Amino acid sequence: MNPSVVFIADRNRGRTPGSSPPRFPGFDVLNEVDRWDAVTAGVVLARLTPSPELSFFTGVEQATAEALCDQLLAQHEEPRIPVAALIDVRLATGETDGWHYADMPEDAQAWRQTLAFLDNDAKRQGGTSLSQLGQQQQAALVQAVQELDAQSWHGLPATHVWSLWTRYACTAFYSHPWAWNEIGFPGPAYPRGYKNMGLDAREKFEVADAANTDPVPWTRRAEAAKRRQAAAVTGESS
Amino acid sequence: MKLGTNLSLYGDVRDRNESAWLLPSSPGFPHRLRDEMTRYDERDEVDIVIVGCGAGGGTLAQRLARAGWSVVALDAGPFWDPETDWVSDERGSHSLYWTDPRVISGADPVPLGSNNSGRGVGGSMVHYAGYTPRFHPSDFATFTGDGVGADWPISYTDLRPYYEQLEQELPVAGQDWPWGDPHSYPFHAQPISGNGDVFIAGCEKLGIPARVGPVAIANGRFGNRPRCIYRGFCLQGCKVNAKASPLITHIPDALAHGAEIRAHCHVSKVLVDDHTGRATGVTYFKDGIEHRQRARMVAVAGYSIETPRLLLLSASNRFKDGLCNDDGQVGRYVMVQGAPQTAGRFEAEVRMYKGPPPEVSCEQFYETDPAKPYKRGFSIQTVSPLPITYAEHVVAQGHWGESLREYMRDYVHWASLGALCELLPLHSNAVTLSDEVDRHGLPVANFHYSMGENDKQLMAAAQTKMEEILRAAGATETMTIRRFAHLVGGCRMARSPKDGVVNAEQRTFAVPNLYITDGSVLPTQGSANPALTIMSLAARVADHLTAHQHTGPAAAAEARHG
Ligand SMILES: Cc1cc2nc3c(=O)[nH]c(=O)nc-3n(C[C@H](O)[C@H](O)[C@H](O)COP(=O)(O)OP(=O)(O)OC[C@H]3O[C@@H](n4cnc5c(N)ncnc54)[C@H](O)[C@@H]3O)c2cc1C
Ligand code: SF4
Repeated sequence: MNPSVVFIADRNRGRTPGSSPPRFPGFDVLNEVDRWDAVTAGVVLARLTPSPELSFFTGVEQATAEALCDQLLAQHEEPRIPVAALIDVRLATGETDGWHYADMPEDAQAWRQTLAFLDNDAKRQGGTSLSQLGQQQQAALVQAVQELDAQSWHGLPATHVWSLWTRYACTAFYSHPWAWNEIGFPGPAYPRGYKNMGLDAREKFEVADAANTDPVPWTRRAEAAKRRQAAAVTGESS
Repeated sequence: MKLGTNLSLYGDVRDRNESAWLLPSSPGFPHRLRDEMTRYDERDEVDIVIVGCGAGGGTLAQRLARAGWSVVALDAGPFWDPETDWVSDERGSHSLYWTDPRVISGADPVPLGSNNSGRGVGGSMVHYAGYTPRFHPSDFATFTGDGVGADWPISYTDLRPYYEQLEQELPVAGQDWPWGDPHSYPFHAQPISGNGDVFIAGCEKLGIPARVGPVAIANGRFGNRPRCIYRGFCLQGCKVNAKASPLITHIPDALAHGAEIRAHCHVSKVLVDDHTGRATGVTYFKDGIEHRQRARMVAVAGYSIETPRLLLLSASNRFKDGLCNDDGQVGRYVMVQGAPQTAGRFEAEVRMYKGPPPEVSCEQFYETDPAKPYKRGFSIQTVSPLPITYAEHVVAQGHWGESLREYMRDYVHWASLGALCELLPLHSNAVTLSDEVDRHGLPVANFHYSMGENDKQLMAAAQTKMEEILRAAGATETMTIRRFAHLVGGCRMARSPKDGVVNAEQRTFAVPNLYITDGSVLPTQGSANPALTIMSLAARVADHLTAHQHTGPAAAAEARHG
């Protein structure tokens, strides 16, 4: 393997975003890098070292975008997948999904506008921008946009704004090998392929789920608590 | 391999279409064929220029080149090499999709991009899943049979011989098919993964028949095409050359028979001589410069959005409201299938990313059930979203932040099914030109879509059925994302110009030497994935054209001698 690939792989060994104990202990998609084809390896490894110099977002926008993406993906501690930086690359090169809702501006413009709207909302909460608010206040602001559903948020349909944010943010986050380590997904599979298919069948390089916890009851409780908290925060300041 | 036993029934595939034997024996595309490709001069008047090299355009190019026609096929996107251009990665496959701007509107706007259409030689089939079912006989007369939709000007039996040909050429693998017109497939069914196991177990519990297939992935080698390695990236383009797309099933043979495939050529206008009323060729942009290709005949096969858009952009003095649009039919009756997907949680690890997403189908609910309040029906198939797409499913439930992460950490425990509901054609569901322009300065398409009442009932019924199947298989939780798939229609086939854009031979009513040979001609869509039908229709048009020789080598020779 070429030395820079080894270097990138080594620096990212077995990482998952944040510090929760992994559900797939020891699982590391990068162990298999030398069994990926060169084209795919090039594309995937490039995500591990995005340029720190953002070129689409202004400094102010960058801070807001980072705060928003950290909320959407619950990245509250290091190591973080550089979601805003990965979005910046797309917007700078005009790599959109190829469509936009008729009642929304095209994507790049929509990102700029909605980040500014978030800062406006933050000012109403007594902050100077989204990133300057506390975690709970940030979460409450984001939650408020989601709860508007089909209603208008600063003149845009909130569901379409939500779709824009989550599409870009999830695409960036779940394209990253650290996220694959977290969810037990082995990533690229060419030319290796899979041999052991069927329920509970694993390849040598796959790791069994150590926790096997149904997410449904947990998220039900967590989301109810989050809504109560958000109501309390927005209630306090209005 | 069953192929051998059916040879007498279907004729020798290799004699009809040598593509699989022209490919290199290791993955990739035969570069020699590309390097030695015929190149026509723009001033040559070729027999036919084809717009778009996807399901319909690619098939037509191969058939006509084989019949000796001079063929130039233009595609807006690249001439792919699966080995060097595609990646085994979800995010990295973005360049396969049509990502030029488009606007979506209506009460149920349909997101496009990765979910709908492709760009480049092979068209959307480069990143389609690979399901290749036939339509049912009832699909061709839903108005007569059920009082909804529209009747086609052709029947199932007109298309059946072409279904059989294409199933051989792709080739298709699957179990014997009990639904519609019962038939068998050239290749035995593939082995299946945990996701398919779950679907079959659930159906068995409920007494619902399910079948493995039909998928355009050979179960074993086919010509020089290797077998599937079960890596699960079918929707990202098959680097292995195991899954069929026109790029490997029809383009090699077209090249070997003298067709020119011109990539990176965005057609901007179909040219029509206002005096004779005949098409004379097309203009197109390559590297920002406008070119023109002269031709005796033009076929448009640019997908249900770009085909109507191109006709609307080709307005002339004679056709002020857009080419072939005197009756206001261009861009109308665009359809999508309702495609809700339901995931279920299992104690066991399902790991649905393994194996091709297309595995098992059920067409038990395809036809109108007189006991139900709605008309027509739906099919159910396995789907296996990769992480980015799966995250969309989770977000659609309203989860974000820590809940989203928690659901995603549980990814390996979920199996996933998708339905295809036959949503009915409506005049108001249409492609029109927007005020926005693309990088060539051409107005982009606005696709307006709203569901009707029957459509909503079907979507709900399909969701309930998928939940029942997953629960019967042992799922402890389910979640559903409402979505759409597979655009067709927009220039539909009809008996009269009042009702459509093309006749039963897919010739436009308005211009005698202009054909439409892609999914936009479909008057209804059934609950079957459309690619096989689109290819079969194109093969049928080719037979009609070569039988009548309005143009082509015979006519050209006649002109020379006469
Ligand atoms: C994610 C996904 C999964 C799918 N799964 C299935 C499945 O399992 N089974 C199935 O049957 N179908 C499936 N489909 C749908 C199927 O791929 C399409 O219905 C089919 O390919 C459409 O054929 P077509 O000939 O109409 O257009 P396409 O195959 O899309 O071909 C159109 C071509 O025209 C070119 N073009 C467009 N405009 C121009 C222009 N102005 N100038 C030059 N070139 C132009 C495009 O670049 C493209 O290559 C899937 C689609 C998607 C997106
Ligand atoms: S699963 Fe098989 S058919 Fe699908 S992309 Fe992989 S090798 Fe090709």
